[in-house]
Amino acid sequence: MARSKITLPPDPVIEAYKKAVDVTLLQENLRLTVEERFSKLMAMQKFAEELRRAGKKLREAP
Amino acid sequence: MTDFEALLRLLARARVEFIIVGGAAATVHGSSRLTQDLDIVYRRSTENLHQLAEALSPYHPYLRGAPVGLPFRLDAETLQRGLNFTLVTDLGDLDLLGEIAGGGNFEALLGHAQPVEVYGAQCYVLGLERLIEVKRAAGRPKDFEAIAELEKILEARESG
Repeated sequence: MARSKITLPPDPVIEAYKKAVDVTLLQENLRLTVEERFSKLMAMQKFAEELRRAGKKLREAP
Repeated sequence: MTDFEALLRLLARARVEFIIVGGAAATVHGSSRLTQDLDIVYRRSTENLHQLAEALSPYHPYLRGAPVGLPFRLDAETLQRGLNFTLVTDLGDLDLLGEIAGGGNFEALLGHAQPVEVYGAQCYVLGLERLIEVKRAAGRPKDFEAIAELEKILEARESG
């Protein structure tokens, strides 16, 4: 159903950002199933929330 | 935390017609970036508005960031009167989008969507090429890194 091939010309700003993309992370992710990608995303969210909680506690400490 | 699994199962079980867009769509395509919410473009047919409202109502949908106590009830009438809703629910953050900038509504996007099975739920996800186009059209600086990653994924896919 989805069309193939991107129709927009290369954007110089995006091309500059592409140089900073961590391809190893992408390769790792592309090996996962869709469910595994979502599970990883939820685990990252949980981790980020825990870090925020810890940071808040740290800032509130006397 | 947004429970993507529970939200997707819920919407699919209720036979809501929707397309996954935004960061969650990027995740489906292989993005390694963190996203906080589930963005969906929903069909604005009367039947679908009822199905959507009925599916979500047990999970206490409320306008994200709205002052506590602001009267809000998500029902088909509310959905009909509005277009885009950024919600917090018991299952996490959910954005209901009647249309998206540069992409249009459900009907306009459906031809660019792909069927995908997630956690046993049959859904549609916006195709990678269209997702890139839409994000580019939005022109938000915060999306630049995400677009770059998506274009890398597209290149990897096309090079086999």
